[in-house]
Amino acid sequence: MWVTFTFSITLACYTLAAGMYAFFLVKGSQRRANIAATSLGGGLFAHVVFVAQQVLVHDRLPTDDIHQALAALSLLVSLLYLVTSRFRPRLRVLGAFIAPMTLLLFLGAAFRGAVPVSDTVRSYLLPVHVGVNILGLVAFAFAFAASAAYILQERQLRSKNLGGVFQRLPSLGVLDQLGLRSVLIGFPLLTVGVVTGTIWAVRHAPNAPVISPSQGFGLLAWLLFAAVLLLRIAAGWQGRKAAIGTMLGFLCTVMVLIGYVLRSTPAGVS
Amino acid sequence: MSQKLVIVGLSHHTSPLSLRERVAVPTSSLRLEVRDLVQSVGLPEAAIVSTCNRLEVYAGVEQPDQVIGGLHRWMQQRGGPEATSCLYTLQGARATHHAFRVASSLDSMVVGEPQILGQLKEAYNEAKTGGGLGNLLDRCFNHAFSVAKRVRHETKIAEGSVSISSIACDLARKIFGDLNGKRVLLIGAGKMGEGAARYLREEGADLYVVNRNRNRAEELAAKSGGQPRTIEDIGDELALADVAIASTSSRDFLITPEMLRKVIRARRHRPLFLIDIAVPRNVDPRVGSMDNVFLYDIDDLQKVAEENLATRKSEAEKAEEIVTHEVVNFEKWRKSIAVTPIIVGLRHHVRSILEEEYAKTKPKLQLDDEGEQAIERMLDSMVNKVLHSPVSELKASALNGHNVELAQSIRRLFQLPSDDDDPAPDQTDLRNPKT
Repeated sequence: MWVTFTFSITLACYTLAAGMYAFFLVKGSQRRANIAATSLGGGLFAHVVFVAQQVLVHDRLPTDDIHQALAALSLLVSLLYLVTSRFRPRLRVLGAFIAPMTLLLFLGAAFRGAVPVSDTVRSYLLPVHVGVNILGLVAFAFAFAASAAYILQERQLRSKNLGGVFQRLPSLGVLDQLGLRSVLIGFPLLTVGVVTGTIWAVRHAPNAPVISPSQGFGLLAWLLFAAVLLLRIAAGWQGRKAAIGTMLGFLCTVMVLIGYVLRSTPAGVS
Repeated sequence: MSQKLVIVGLSHHTSPLSLRERVAVPTSSLRLEVRDLVQSVGLPEAAIVSTCNRLEVYAGVEQPDQVIGGLHRWMQQRGGPEATSCLYTLQGARATHHAFRVASSLDSMVVGEPQILGQLKEAYNEAKTGGGLGNLLDRCFNHAFSVAKRVRHETKIAEGSVSISSIACDLARKIFGDLNGKRVLLIGAGKMGEGAARYLREEGADLYVVNRNRNRAEELAAKSGGQPRTIEDIGDELALADVAIASTSSRDFLITPEMLRKVIRARRHRPLFLIDIAVPRNVDPRVGSMDNVFLYDIDDLQKVAEENLATRKSEAEKAEEIVTHEVVNFEKWRKSIAVTPIIVGLRHHVRSILEEEYAKTKPKLQLDDEGEQAIERMLDSMVNKVLHSPVSELKASALNGHNVELAQSIRRLFQLPSDDDDPAPDQTDLRNPKT
C-alpha cells in the first residue's frame, strides 16, 4: 500500500512538473518555474522513497530488471537536472524537455510488471552492463534535451519569431556545447555497455542465430553517436545536423528500452 | 506645517538638445552645485538630477511659492533666457508622481531604459554628501528606487531592445552565447552598421572593417578600434567571421549563395550571422536558407524593434498604475509626518505629568528594580491608552488635509508649545508604533 502511495505522489509531482515547465517555456513567469522546480524536487524525494522501498522491502536492485533500471534512470535524470539548473539558471528552461522524459521513464518503470532476471542468466557482467548503460542514458537524455531545444531555438531564429520562447531558451552556442559534452560523456559508457552486453549475450545464448531488435537498436544507437562525434570532431559539424543525429541516437536507445519493457510480463504495480 | 516636494526642471519633452547640453551639470561637480543651490536659494533640502535628457532640481520646502522664483533664476543662470520657456514646475503629489515616473524610466526618451535609475542614485548620493538631503528628499528618493524596482520586477517594461544596433547585438548573443573573441566583419561605412559593430566590440568581439576605399577603412577601423581590410579580402574574411554586418551603398548583392558555398568548407560549418542593414540590400536573401547561416535584414530588425516598443508601451500602462498607487502611499506618509511634532509633544506632556506624580509616590512604595520596571511599563501603557483616540484622530485628519484646526485645538487644550519652540523629538516616541 505504501508503495502505491509513494508511486502516486511521485507520479503526481512529475506530471505537475512536466506541465509547469512546459507552461514556463511558453508563457514565462518566474513563479511557474519555481512551482515546476518544487514539484520536480518533491517528485524526486517521493521517487527516492519509492526506490528505497523496492530495494529494502522487495529486495530488488536497479540492475535486477528493466523496470528497476528505468526507475533509477528517471531518478538520476531528474536529480542531475535539478543540480545543474541550480548552478546554471539559464538551463532551467530545459526542464520543459527533461521533466516529460522523467515522467515517461517513471511510467515505463512502474506500469509494467517487474520480472526479476532469472538466476540462469545472472552474471557479474549484468550489473556492469546495466549500470554503465543507465549512466550513459542519463548523459544522452541531456544531449536529447539540449538538441531538441537547439532545433526549437533555431526554428524561432529562422522564422524571426523572437517572442518569449526565444528569449527564455539558451543561446544556440550553449545548447550545441551541452549536446556535444553530453554525447562525449555518454558515448564511452554506451561503448562499455554494448561490449559487456555482447559478451553476456554470447555467453548465455551462444546459439542465437540473429540479433534481437533491442540489440539491433543498441548497435544502431552506438553507430549514430559514433558518427555524430566523428563528424563533429573531424569535420567540424555543429548545429542542426549534429542535433538531429543526437536525437536519432537517443531515440534508438529508447527503442532498446521499449524492446526490453515489452518483453517482460505485465503484472501491474507491485 | 509639512514639507512639500518641489521639482523645477527641463527635459527632452520641453527643450532641445543644444539647451540640455548647456545646462547639464557634470557628475564631478554635482556635490558643489547642490551646496551652492542650498545656500543661494535658501533651501532646507535639495538634489540635482542631471542626465543627457534632463536637468531637474528636487527641493523639500514648506512654502514652495517662496523658492520657486529662486529655482527658476538658478536655471536661467545656467541656460540663459532660452531656458525660461522650457521650464516646468511641479509641487506636492504631482512632483512625487513625476519623481517616481522618472525613476521607473516612464519619462525616459526610450521607455524602460535602465540607465536612469543609476543616474538617480548618483544624484541621491551626491546630494547626501553635499548636505542637501533631509527627511523628505531622503524618503522620496528611496521610495522612488523601490517603485522602480517594483516596476521592473512586475512589468515587462525593460524587456527587449528597441534600437537596431542593440537588437543585432542581442541576436548575436542568442546565436553564439559569449561574444568574447568572436570575429565581427563590418562591410561598408553606414552609420547604423557602425553602431551595431561598436555594440559587439563592447561585448568583447574583434572587429574587422572592409571598405572599397582603403583610406576610409583605415579611418573607420581607427575610430572603432578595429582592423582595416580591403574589399578584395571579403571572401577570406567571410571564411573567418562569426558576424558580418553589411551596410554599403552597393546596388548589387555583395554576398551571394555561390560565394558562401565556397567558404563553407573553410568555415567548418561554424554558424554565421549576417546582418544586412543596407538599402538596397547587400546580401542575397537566398543565403538565409543555408545551413548554419542566419540572415536578418533591416526590415526584420525594424519589425523586432517595433514589437518590443509596442510591448513596452502596453507594459507602461501597468507601470503607471503601480506609480500612482505608490504616490498615494508616499503622500500618506508625508502628511502623517506633518503631525509628528504635535504627537511627540502630546506624549511628552502626558508622560511628564505621570512621571511627576509617580515621583511623589515613589519613596512610599519602596520598590525593587523589577517593581520599578513594571511601573515604567505601566506608565508607557497609560500614555498609549490615554492618547490613542486623539492621536488616531490627528493622523486621520492629517491624511484628509484637515489637521490645522485640530492641531491648534490640541495645542491650546494641552498648553503645548507652538511650532517655533517644539521640543526636540524624542526618538523613542517617534519609533513607538502604538500611537
